[in-house]
Formats: sequence, C-alpha cells, structure tokens
Amino acid sequence: MLLIEVDGKTLLAEHGVTVPAGRLVTDATIGDLPGDGPWMVKAQVPVGGRGKAGGVVRCASRTDVAAAVARLLGARLKGHQVNGCLVEQVANGEERYLALMVDAASYGLRVIYSTAGGVDIEQSGAAQGLPCAPHPGAVAEALAELIADEPEPLRDHIATVGRKLADMMIARELALAEINPLFVCSAGCIAGDAKLVVDLGAVERQSRIAALIEARPDTYADAVRKLREGFDYVEMDPDGEIGLLTTGAGLSMMLIDELAARGMKPLNFCDIRTGQMRGSPARVMRVLEWITSRPSLRAVLVNIFAGITDLAEFGALLATGMEQTPTLRVPVVARLVGRGAADARRILAERQPEMFVTEDLEEAMRRIETIVRVSS
Amino acid sequence: MTAAMLNILSHETPVIVQGITGRMGRTHAALMRAYGTNIVGGTSTRTDIPDAAGVPVFASCRDAVLATGAAASVAMAPPMETLAAVEEALAAGIQLIVTVAEGIPLHDAMRIGRAVRRAGATWIGGSTPGVAIPGEIKLGFLPDVCLRPGPFAIMSKSGTLSYEVGFRLAHEHLGQSIWVGVGGDSVKGVRFADLLPVFFADPRTHAIILVGEVGGSEEEECADALKRLGMRKPLYALIAGREAKEGVSMGHAGALVMGDAGTLASKTHRLTAAGARVFASIEALTQACMHDFSVLRT
Repeated sequence: MLLIEVDGKTLLAEHGVTVPAGRLVTDATIGDLPGDGPWMVKAQVPVGGRGKAGGVVRCASRTDVAAAVARLLGARLKGHQVNGCLVEQVANGEERYLALMVDAASYGLRVIYSTAGGVDIEQSGAAQGLPCAPHPGAVAEALAELIADEPEPLRDHIATVGRKLADMMIARELALAEINPLFVCSAGCIAGDAKLVVDLGAVERQSRIAALIEARPDTYADAVRKLREGFDYVEMDPDGEIGLLTTGAGLSMMLIDELAARGMKPLNFCDIRTGQMRGSPARVMRVLEWITSRPSLRAVLVNIFAGITDLAEFGALLATGMEQTPTLRVPVVARLVGRGAADARRILAERQPEMFVTEDLEEAMRRIETIVRVSS
Repeated sequence: MTAAMLNILSHETPVIVQGITGRMGRTHAALMRAYGTNIVGGTSTRTDIPDAAGVPVFASCRDAVLATGAAASVAMAPPMETLAAVEEALAAGIQLIVTVAEGIPLHDAMRIGRAVRRAGATWIGGSTPGVAIPGEIKLGFLPDVCLRPGPFAIMSKSGTLSYEVGFRLAHEHLGQSIWVGVGGDSVKGVRFADLLPVFFADPRTHAIILVGEVGGSEEEECADALKRLGMRKPLYALIAGREAKEGVSMGHAGALVMGDAGTLASKTHRLTAAGARVFASIEALTQACMHDFSVLRT
C-alpha cells in the first residue's frame, strides 16, 4: 500500500533525510504557513501522477494557497477523496530521481537513479537502474556506480541519502522508496516528494507503520479494514450501484471489470474469505453494513465459488446476515457454485424466498443488469 | 526460479505436509490423499500426535524426509512462519515446496527466494491454491470439481479466477495438462515466464491459459519470454483489474497499480505484441478455448 506523501516524508525525516518545511491542512482555515512563499499545495492521495491530474499547485501568495486548498479538499483524484493538502515551502536545486524498490524477479532490490528528475521520468525509460542484494552495502555500491558522473559535493550528498534510504527500506520492510524530485545543491539534498509503499503483510511486526496507518483511518480506510477485520474490502466508488459480497481477489476484480464494461457501477471490491468465517455471520454482516451505508446502492451480487467451503453452511450464514441487516432494502442476487450448492439453494429458498439464486455467473450478472435498468 | 521439478511430478512423488496437525493441514492432507497424491507424512510441533490424516507425524522435515524419502512439501504454515518452514524443508533436502499462506512479509519472501535459489529447489507461492497434474497429483487445494485431465496448461495469480476458467472448460470436457497457481504475491517462487519452457516441453500441453492481474511485471516478463522462445503453443490470457483502484492492493499484495506501472493496458499491449490473445471477460476466453480446441474434448 502506498503511503500519502506527508506520511512518507515523516518516515524519511525519521531516517535522516531532509524534507521541506510543511504542514498538513485539512480544512479551509489554512492557518500558519511554513516560512515565506512561494509554496507548493499538494493533494494527499496515494496515487502516482498527482501533478498531471491537477493535484499539485505552486502558489505565490497566501490567497493562492487558500484558493488551491479550497478547490482540492473534498475533491476526488484518481478514485481517492482528498482529505488533506500538504502545504510546503518550495525547495530549490537541480532535480534528480532516486528510488529503491524490491526487485521481485531477482529477490533483491533495484536502485534507480536519473539526472532527469520530474514528472515524466517513469515514461521516459531513462531510469533502468541496477539490481543488487538486499543489504545497505550492496545498495551503496550500486548507487555509487549510477552517480559516478555527478560532480562533488553533489555525489557525496546523494550517496548519503542513498544510505539512509537503504537503511529505512530494510528496517521498515518497504516495497518501494522513491524520491522524485530529489533536489540537490552544494548545501545538500531535499526530498521534494516521497512515495513509500509499505507491506501490509509485515505490519504486525512494524509498529511504526501500523501507527501511521491507524492514525488516518479515513485516508487508509481500505487498509484499516483489512487489518481490523482480516479480509479485504476496497471501496471503488462511493456512488456505486452494485455491492459485491464475493470471495477471491482475482475473481472479484474480474467481476468489477465485467460489470463496469456492461455500463454498471460497482461499489466495492471484496474478498470475504469464506474459509475463515468459522460458522459466524459476522463478515457477511460487516460487508452488508458497509455496502448499504451508500444510498446509491441498487443491488447486491453475492458470488461464491466453493472449492472447499460448504455452501450449505455459507447459505445459512448469508440468510442470517441478511435477516440481521435491517438496512438491506435492495434485491440480492446470489451465484453459488460448488460443494453443497443444492442445499444452499434450498435453505435460501426457505429463508430468503425473494432472493435470486443461480449456479451460473453470466446469468447472475444479467439479472443484476436487469435490476439496475428497471430501477433507474 | 527453476521450475525443474514440475514436469516430473506424478502420483508416485512422495509428499509431506508441514503443519499437518493444524485445522488446515489435517483437512487438506486428507483431501490431497483422497485425490491420489502420495502423502507420506507430515510435520508438527505436536509430537504427542502420532498420526494425522492417516499418515505419520514427524517432529521435523529432516525426520520426515529420512523416514519417507519425501521430495515435495506443502507448507501449511501461517505467513509469519513460512520463512522458517521453507528453511527447514530445504535443509532436509526437499526439492519442491508449495507455500499456501497469504500475506507472507515481502522481505521474508525475498529471503525465501534466495534460499530456494541457493538450494536449486523449486518454490510455488505464496498466496497460491497450489499445483496439480489432473489425474495424477494435487499439491494444495485446487478444487476437484475444476480438475480434469486435458490439453490446457493453466498458470494463474488468482485462485478463484482460475477456478472459474477451469470449471467452465472442464464442464465442456476440456481439462488441464497441468495447473500452476503462481500466486498473488509480488515476490514469489515460480513466475509466469519460468513456466513457458515447462509447458512448451510438456507433450500433454496443447495450449496455455494465463490468468493474470494488474500490478507487478510478470505478464510483461512472460511476453518477453514468449518473444524470445517463440510462440510454440498458443497462449490465451485473461487479466483482471482494469478498474483497480490506484495505490491500494486489491486483495492480493501483488495487485497494486501506481501511475502507468502494472496497468492492464501495459500487460495487454505487451502480451498481444508477443502473439498472445488477451480477452476482456471470462466468457470470451472460455468461448475461444472451446472453439479452438473442441476436437480435444475428453
């Protein structure tokens, strides 16, 4: 999961990398600004390409800052709501690109460096970098090779940032630590941006990362849900019409793609993991509670492919979960296939007679489409 | 990562289950045995339990391998304990290890990968339902209802999406020569590209089905390998996540899109340019497979 910039910079600073003076602004009263202008106003959403999407604004005056903040707060940028803006002093220097990432194919890290920092670096293909072992010494060696043409004292400053980045990457078990741009000048380096990808699998033993996530339950809503509930639920579109109560990450993603391709608006992604429900309707109720909290909801699609799970048990839990969710007032279509499907169908016919149950996913999607068309 | 072990797997391959006395271990050891897998034993810290799922329980992989000659292991360990489980298996001489845990810490996965590579062994996972050669052997928990001997080699990041594909084709009497769940993590064992040579060399395989997801660069690597090796067998691909939300892992740790990296467009473009056929829906993929291979129904 990608941290928002302000949290990435907090971690960078804790590991000794200099960041511009800045303040997170979360409402229209912008308060004291850091230092004199000019300032950068940056929407705090965990996505790449914020600049191109209009989420980063350079402001010369306090009035401009107020206007930029007012425009950005509450807006949606690439699927994420902007809950805060980082207002920073503009940093100066030549722009460089420096990143460390986990190199999955080599079971090591990759050090990427380019003298052409800036917004087009990812597309330019200029920065291929060097793979190395996941140790600070190996990172330092690889980086030394990449920055060999930089003049002193810049080379020395960049090498120092590289060492700190490597220590942080390993200590905090990160997947990516990218600084773009890294401002360099004879006095030292300043991280103009911070793109840090944390590993949710390691959060249990990374208390600092856990604290950063827990401190912003709105910004990291999807991650917080995963850590607290033990399963995956990602809100795709708060104005979505179709709620998904599904198992399997890949299949749930594909369903979202297919529903969207048919012109429908999925509300959420969900991997409820039926195998971990252990006879309790709690997860069904949680998902129904989240889905039904959105007034745009028109229908719920349940899709369970049961390889191991007994659908008779799941069917009963689904019925119980529905009975105990008074906010559920839209039609539910269930596609249940696999072990115990016939029993599940019988149980649901008894307890939820209005529910449409099928073994055929295509039929279930057509049914959902009909419901949405009729109710619109 | 070497995929060397995969084409010599059979119903005779001796297999152990690490963590066999746990709920998952017991259940799946029994299901694998029922499928015909030669489960010869298991390991557990519970030395007071002499046997589970009808096979002997050993205190360590070393004891299990010495007593049974096991060559493969299915590690039913929690994510934080998977690294230790793999290290133990490798030290005992296990050559193929399947790790099913979801959420193995990324940096642990790097250590696992390096250790497996040093040992010259084969690793499948994490976040995988496992691997199967239908009619011969199943390591992990691919649902029996999807498994059927036939012409397609399936490789997939996602369990459920591959079940859906396999199930629909099996229903039409089109089965699989081999099925490898490479898993949904970014740092993993065998990757798509590693499997192309295995599938090309396998006489039972007539065509390849790749079930991918946004995030990472495995599909792109596979496209490069396809170009390098030449498309000796047709490859059909289905990739989930066109609508994925940026910056957030979509259930699988590896399914993370940022900027233009790891997007569906990038993967589709590279695979198509390499000669693969990429489909936008499950139905479109399965229909094409049925159309092109109806003569191979079994």
